[in-house]
Amino acid sequence: MPDNANFLRLEGLQVHFPIQGGLFDRVLGRPPRAVRAVDGIDLNIRRGEIVALVGESGSGKTTVGRAITKLAQPTSGRLLFEDEDMSSVRGSSALRPYRHRVQMIFQDAYQALNPRHTVFEIVAEPLRSLQLVEGGKQLADRVSEALAAAGLNPPGDFFSRFPHELSGGQRQRVVIAGALAVKPKLIVADEPVSMLDVSIRAQILQVLVDLRAKHNMALLFITHDLPLAWLIADRIAVLYLGKLVEIGSADEITFNPHHPYTVALRNATPQIRSDASRVGLPALQGEVPSAARVPKGCRFHPRCPVAFHRCKEEEPPAIEVAANHTAACWLAT
Amino acid sequence: MINSSQDNAPLLEVDRLSVDYGLKGVSSRAIDRVSFALRAGEAVGLVGESGSGKTTTAMAIAGLLSPNARVSGGEVRYRGKRLPIDDDAAMRPHRWSETSVVFQGAMNALNPVHRIIKQIAEPCVLKLGMSRVEATARARELLELVGIPADRGAAYPHELSGGMRQRVMIAMALACRPSIVIGDEPTTALDVITQAQILKLLGDLRSQLNLALILITHDLSVVAEACDRVMIMYSGRLVEDGTVAEIFGKPKHPYTRLLIDSIPNPANGKKVIRHIPGDPPSLVNRPSGCAFHPRCPSAMGVCQTEVPSLTGVGRGRVACHLHRFLQEDKVAAHA
Amino acid sequence: MSEGTVRYPPRGRARAIKSFLRQFLGRGGAQAGVLCLVFFLVLAAVPNILVGPLQTAINATGDFLAPPSSQHLLGTDDVGRDVLNLVVHGARISLTIAVLATVISLVFGTTVGISAGYYGGRVDVWLMRLTDFFFVMPSFVLALVITPVILEVWGRGGDIFGFRPSLFVIIVVIGMTSWAFVARIVRSQTLSLKERTFVDRARVVGSSNIVIMVKHILPNLVPQITANGALVVAGAIYVETSLSFLGLGDPLQPSWGTLLALAQRAGAASAGAWWDLSPGVCVLTVSLSFVLIGNALDDTFNPRRRVIP
Repeated sequence: MPDNANFLRLEGLQVHFPIQGGLFDRVLGRPPRAVRAVDGIDLNIRRGEIVALVGESGSGKTTVGRAITKLAQPTSGRLLFEDEDMSSVRGSSALRPYRHRVQMIFQDAYQALNPRHTVFEIVAEPLRSLQLVEGGKQLADRVSEALAAAGLNPPGDFFSRFPHELSGGQRQRVVIAGALAVKPKLIVADEPVSMLDVSIRAQILQVLVDLRAKHNMALLFITHDLPLAWLIADRIAVLYLGKLVEIGSADEITFNPHHPYTVALRNATPQIRSDASRVGLPALQGEVPSAARVPKGCRFHPRCPVAFHRCKEEEPPAIEVAANHTAACWLAT
Repeated sequence: MINSSQDNAPLLEVDRLSVDYGLKGVSSRAIDRVSFALRAGEAVGLVGESGSGKTTTAMAIAGLLSPNARVSGGEVRYRGKRLPIDDDAAMRPHRWSETSVVFQGAMNALNPVHRIIKQIAEPCVLKLGMSRVEATARARELLELVGIPADRGAAYPHELSGGMRQRVMIAMALACRPSIVIGDEPTTALDVITQAQILKLLGDLRSQLNLALILITHDLSVVAEACDRVMIMYSGRLVEDGTVAEIFGKPKHPYTRLLIDSIPNPANGKKVIRHIPGDPPSLVNRPSGCAFHPRCPSAMGVCQTEVPSLTGVGRGRVACHLHRFLQEDKVAAHA
Repeated sequence: MSEGTVRYPPRGRARAIKSFLRQFLGRGGAQAGVLCLVFFLVLAAVPNILVGPLQTAINATGDFLAPPSSQHLLGTDDVGRDVLNLVVHGARISLTIAVLATVISLVFGTTVGISAGYYGGRVDVWLMRLTDFFFVMPSFVLALVITPVILEVWGRGGDIFGFRPSLFVIIVVIGMTSWAFVARIVRSQTLSLKERTFVDRARVVGSSNIVIMVKHILPNLVPQITANGALVVAGAIYVETSLSFLGLGDPLQPSWGTLLALAQRAGAASAGAWWDLSPGVCVLTVSLSFVLIGNALDDTFNPRRRVIP
């Protein structure tokens, strides 16, 4: 059995997207620019662990998920899965063993399902393309099993339905069933509940949590919602402009955040308080800058309420503030 | 329930309002006898899931119902006078100057080829009969009011961030000095920190201009931050109405309680995922009786047959048979 | 299709097709178009049963340029052949040429369009340059130039896949000159389809590029391809008629265009023999019905253009 720590590791992972410079730029010999969507992150996920990746839009959280699922090619850095370097593996047949172990769930289930395929075809697709089953009987059994595990009962009723004939919650369950069908070891879930009605969200979360309990499946849960991350995850990693600013246990990040950005995120999150008191903390000013123009030094310094001169010059390293809790801030101790 | 003293008369009264949608000859009821009152300067959250009728209610009040919708009963009164909400032409003078709307997708609501200052000045020219110069001055004033430096008015919509665009939408909504602003999921597409900024702006504007605010949202925690009162809708009906403290402290309707429980809340420290079984009903096959009964943990026989009426409990109102019985028991115990 | 769909009767698909047909046939234009087309298809299917074998100058039965009578419902031509007989046999040739040319154009155009859109980059650049070349090239003039050359090289004798070579050449020429239009439409649709999340999902679940193009992108192009395919048929009928009219058709297997050419040469129009021009009416009717069907398909498939009920 491989070491737990070496399940999935990201080492200095970078995903940059080049910006097509105009003719003008090329004539003047300006260096090509790039959107630094993910700008060097180190993260490991243990076997059977739920890690939440929290960030705003433009933080690069979706790109991290796409890099792990090989939908985006890393510019540099390494993606190690069970000690195997997957960063440069390309092509659908070479990736087949990896796809078998790492699957993905998408934010908008309606978009993620081909409108012209039936539920059966959708869930059977990974089994067929990864050549995991032989014969129609086995295929039908695996599809039924996956649909049932995702909470669509009885599975046979859904086989010939089309995505538009399902409710929002059912559609997301079909996406989950498709990912489950191959019995992966890691699922990357990109905002899987943000498009769903509040009363349906908890149902889907329950399905995901049950998977871990039953099959020891690891989950990378990408979200913008800190309380949701706290509810579902063992650890939370907070991403700002392509860099991890803080990682720690869910409780540590929620109740004892060290990085000013995490603090701001927590304070900005609307909360239900049974005594209806409002804390009324000052909201953070400004907005996330473009990833094509990353500020020098600590990338949060232009918006940081406690920034000082050093933050403008030097990028802070990840500093251990408690056991298994690091924050990338010069003030973190 | 509603304070009837002269100076505190309701600004807006919605009285047993029903709206039907006609689709391919089949008509389905989107909202069913919705009644409530709104006072000047009050912030009310209208909360519900998709298909609950929250948006239809708000659009009916603003007189912006889609062509296939029909007001099938009830009325809406503004300062005691009936609003012609189903007559597009007659409604025109009331729109924007009495009730205005801040829509969700700011990018779709703004014209990409015009500078924002021009788009804000437009309603001032058309509605208030201002000259171009006056209108531009007013638009600059409005931009400052929503926290955008007036010089940024020369920008085009695509040059602004999502939060800025939403501010522009708010400025446009305020152009004709309305007394009611309806926010249709105004922060749903925004990031958490931007959402907090916009909610704070709305709160500030409300106290500054004595605006009444109707905030339509699916997110109870947003309401908890920004409103005084909450109305919960389910399948086209109002199921509970009360102050933020009452609803979140002591929810009465089982749906409200389950909804609150299903929102993760680190403050209470309990990491339990509680879910409501089943799916929200669609408009065409609404369950009989109380529409929530198939999903309700405390449903009784009567819930399947009789629609519970919205009755006053304490300072709020609730539509649940359970509470009617509790009340009757109380009365019996007193006697 | 896949084994799964065979094992489980495609109930959902049947329902979808039924509802599509209901919407499609609910349109007046579609009804008229389908009715006309069915009529001509029947003519093309069994000409021998309806009007007997093709008449030639040798076995012609009537007078020269006789007006319609009970014996010859559409009169006769300048060599005494029954015009009705010629028109019904011509339907077979004209429709076959038009439909087969359209199939070639759709297969080629779709393949080029999907490949260019899906792979992008250099593949896209080169394929689209090729497409642009055929797009700006006046296809009729091209057909006019190529056809006699190929006919000369190949010779008019023998047959290819059961067709006389001259017909086969016309089919290929029309097919090769009308695909560019299809390729452009398919490419632009593919560009937007490949950004959809379901394509990402297909990649994550391990599907290869070919599978993604065939099973994910192609089915979503069916609306555009069929709707435009119907318009391509209409165009193909015109090109075929014009080429045959200019004498590039096959006199032994006369199509409507050939008949019109013969009528013109016989001076039918100046002689007042209007009945000899009835192939022209057929060309108009059939093209119009394909256009009507194409527009109705487009309206049915494209919900954004659908009238609000």
